[in-house]
Amino acid sequence: MSSVTVRIPTPLRPFTGGADQVYVQARTVGEALTALGSAHSGVLERVMDPGGELRNFVNVYRGRDNVRSLNGLATPLAENDVISIVPAVAGGARKGKDRRLAELRANISQVTPGEAVRLQGKGAAVLDVREADEVAQGSPVGAYRLGRGYLELRAEEVLPDLGRTVLVLCATGARSLFAAEGLQRLGYRDVRNVTGGFARWKNDGLPFEIPRVLDVEARERYSRHLLMPEVGEAGQLKLLDSKVLLIGAGGLGSPAAYYLAAAGIGTIGIVDDDVVDRTNLQRQILHTDARVGAPKVESARQALEALNPSVRVVAHRLRLDSSNVEETFSGYDLIVDGSDNFPTRYLVNDACVKLGIANVHGAVYRFEGQVAVFWPAYNKRRGPCYRCLYPEPPPPELAPSCAEAGVLGILPGVIGLLEAVEAIKILLGVGEPLVGRMLYYDALRASFTELKLDPDPACRYCGEGVEFPGYVDYEKLCSVSNA
Amino acid sequence: MMSLYLPDHARAQLEEMARAGYPLETCGLLIGMTRHDGSEVRRVAQARNLNQERAHDRYELDPQDFLQIDERARAEGFEVVGVWHSHPDHPAHPSETDRAGAWEGWAYVIVSVTSDGIAELRCWRLNSEQFVEEPIEPCPR
Repeated sequence: MSSVTVRIPTPLRPFTGGADQVYVQARTVGEALTALGSAHSGVLERVMDPGGELRNFVNVYRGRDNVRSLNGLATPLAENDVISIVPAVAGGARKGKDRRLAELRANISQVTPGEAVRLQGKGAAVLDVREADEVAQGSPVGAYRLGRGYLELRAEEVLPDLGRTVLVLCATGARSLFAAEGLQRLGYRDVRNVTGGFARWKNDGLPFEIPRVLDVEARERYSRHLLMPEVGEAGQLKLLDSKVLLIGAGGLGSPAAYYLAAAGIGTIGIVDDDVVDRTNLQRQILHTDARVGAPKVESARQALEALNPSVRVVAHRLRLDSSNVEETFSGYDLIVDGSDNFPTRYLVNDACVKLGIANVHGAVYRFEGQVAVFWPAYNKRRGPCYRCLYPEPPPPELAPSCAEAGVLGILPGVIGLLEAVEAIKILLGVGEPLVGRMLYYDALRASFTELKLDPDPACRYCGEGVEFPGYVDYEKLCSVSNA
Repeated sequence: MMSLYLPDHARAQLEEMARAGYPLETCGLLIGMTRHDGSEVRRVAQARNLNQERAHDRYELDPQDFLQIDERARAEGFEVVGVWHSHPDHPAHPSETDRAGAWEGWAYVIVSVTSDGIAELRCWRLNSEQFVEEPIEPCPR
């Protein structure tokens, strides 16, 4: 045991009765501090942490040497050694940022991530305001994701109820404070900040997921879609996951396929057994003069892949009949019918009714065209199928094809694109599809007319409780020319 | 009510050190006596700022300097009654880093300095987790 002097700094003197130094008996620095603590309660916890280590804002010196550079608390002491307790003295200028954060912390209530999960279970919204690349690394399960950049502009679309509790989260809980303030200013009445942000959320073992996000190239390609709240990232991902089957790579199918590929429909199937003919090129813009003679599905694939290489084009080089229609359609979300003959149109209708998918129908004749969505299974209202209107095909002499009647080359462009618009609306679940309505276009008069189409409750194909009567190969029953 | 008793010569010296150090943060200790109604400064001492990387907005007072200044103060019958540091181009308000590193029982003088000279000089004292501003009296009563 050695007799040593411990020098007490001013902030600790209230605990030593004002004494600026205290004498203790000890063999090591640790023993000296413990002895000091026993003699003067209140000192020890300010110098050592509960684990018995020196606190990091305290330095202890033996003479001129910091004991951290000697042997720490085990540093031995000799008779008459002097130990000094030196408070670390540090700080720094306050930035405007710090001042703002302090103000925001004072005005916005805070919740822990655990509390946020509990509130989320009771209906509160967790809003992740981090950037897309951060969200891609993980985000709370069930969180709304709206980057800080567009927060104020889009918040009301994502969270229309201003009375709903909103729990704002960023990476560490700082950016979310600014976001929370922005939401308060928009009129949200109960906005709280998730302290510690996603870092703490993850540390606390709370549920998170790796959300699917668009890659950089897709973000660029579809940027004009991403700006629209009706599409946005979630909508674009939906389109990329969608599978659309086009019946025919002709006048209607060409513009529809082009725009659907451009819009990022992930999978585009094309059914056509024909080859490109020079007479097609007046309207069938997927094809080129150089590809005259090539199968239309291959010509279409080249055109679509050149426009958008990320689209998967599935070529079905076949003519639809009762034996292959259902197998061909299976796996597609909807059908865009651009067929030019009645046997195919009825097969398409019947298969769509059976599979419960939408049949986006288009037809053209010289200067006129029509568009409708035949979809009895539409969940908002009961619509008709094609057979509700025309239970059986007309005799061939009353059903002229383009080859016989002629068509203004641009007209299928107009109608095919209206079909594409309906397809996109259905895939995104936005707007009012042409279910139970037909849009009739008269190019000479430049007028659109809307016709109401009622379902036939007694329809043999889509009527209530009817058994599917089977496919019919009208091709074998009547001869229809093909153009 | 606690006050900081800061004689004019000490105040002038603080301001001069803050100005000379601009645009870097300068720091040091206040030497004097603890009184029942605050702290009385007799002289001020400058110390080295160990935080060279962020010397424009952070300070970390060299503990070796602390030891020497403290030893001399004790020899004179004084004590370290507080800390001073400058805030280049920022108001003389304590920051979160200041608060986190502060000790109760010491006076904290902050000198706000810009390229035009001294903007303000204020004193703060930690009162259970929060900084409270303390009036500065020019000379001991």
